[in-house]
Amino acid sequence: MRFQLGLAAAAALFVGSAGLASAQGAGGYGASGYGGGEYIVDAQVISDEVVGESVGEAVAGSNNVGVAGRAYGRPDLFYNYYTQGNRNRVHAQMYLAPRPVPPNVGHTFTTYQPFMPHEMLYKHTDRYHNYYDGGRGMNRTKARYYYPPVRQAASNFYWNMLRIPR
Amino acid sequence: MRFHPFLLTASAAAVTLLAGISTATAAGPFADRWAQRRAQETAWHGAYQNLGYGQPLAVVVPPTAHLRQTYSWGVSQNTNHSIYHQFGRNYPGSGFAPAAGFYHTPAWPSHTDQFGSYYVRGPW
Repeated sequence: MRFQLGLAAAAALFVGSAGLASAQGAGGYGASGYGGGEYIVDAQVISDEVVGESVGEAVAGSNNVGVAGRAYGRPDLFYNYYTQGNRNRVHAQMYLAPRPVPPNVGHTFTTYQPFMPHEMLYKHTDRYHNYYDGGRGMNRTKARYYYPPVRQAASNFYWNMLRIPR
Repeated sequence: MRFHPFLLTASAAAVTLLAGISTATAAGPFADRWAQRRAQETAWHGAYQNLGYGQPLAVVVPPTAHLRQTYSWGVSQNTNHSIYHQFGRNYPGSGFAPAAGFYHTPAWPSHTDQFGSYYVRGPW
């Protein structure tokens, strides 16, 4: 709570000292008198609603005043995986609820991709891109998945040396 | 969901076995294309439904897994099949409604496919 208060004070200071251009940083979505999804860049109002809900429509908003809108990445928080193919009589999602329940009940919702269980299935390296601040910032996460070496060595020793062949 | 305990252990062992095999021979792009094409022509499920789920149940296996083993009664009934299907990003559209027409597991199962759990490889 104290942290939030300090942040608000700093933002107010920033607005007071820097004027119009800083309203973007402090206001975000519509905090400075404009509608939702609009903010101020170079004293012109443009729309933030460039990228659609995951469809990726490249249409600028209705309040566009001659400035080409920027495309901000706004990926889904979670997206399921599905079986593919034309011959399936029924499709399946990969992430169900923690145990298989009827499909109308729900499914698991994992919001941090590197920890998704299906990444633990095999040895590989992946890189993830995560958007923040409404798509204006992006960070990269590199994750390596590998077998724990000690346990793997012990397992190999058991299966190759100690196990009675039968 | 009720699993037959023996089948559960057998499938778990099969999964670990498959994972162990497949790490030695990673699937190349040719194998991936082959599997993708075959997956378009075949269904990921068999004719049976998982009784606890009411539909065929997709068991996620590592994407490096190649083969599944089925067990049955009788001579020459234990067979090996490739696992072609893989979970993907494309939304298939329709087909999530509870599908009718899948057989129940018989009271005395005679084949591992009759339990309604079928392997589908996880995404890369």
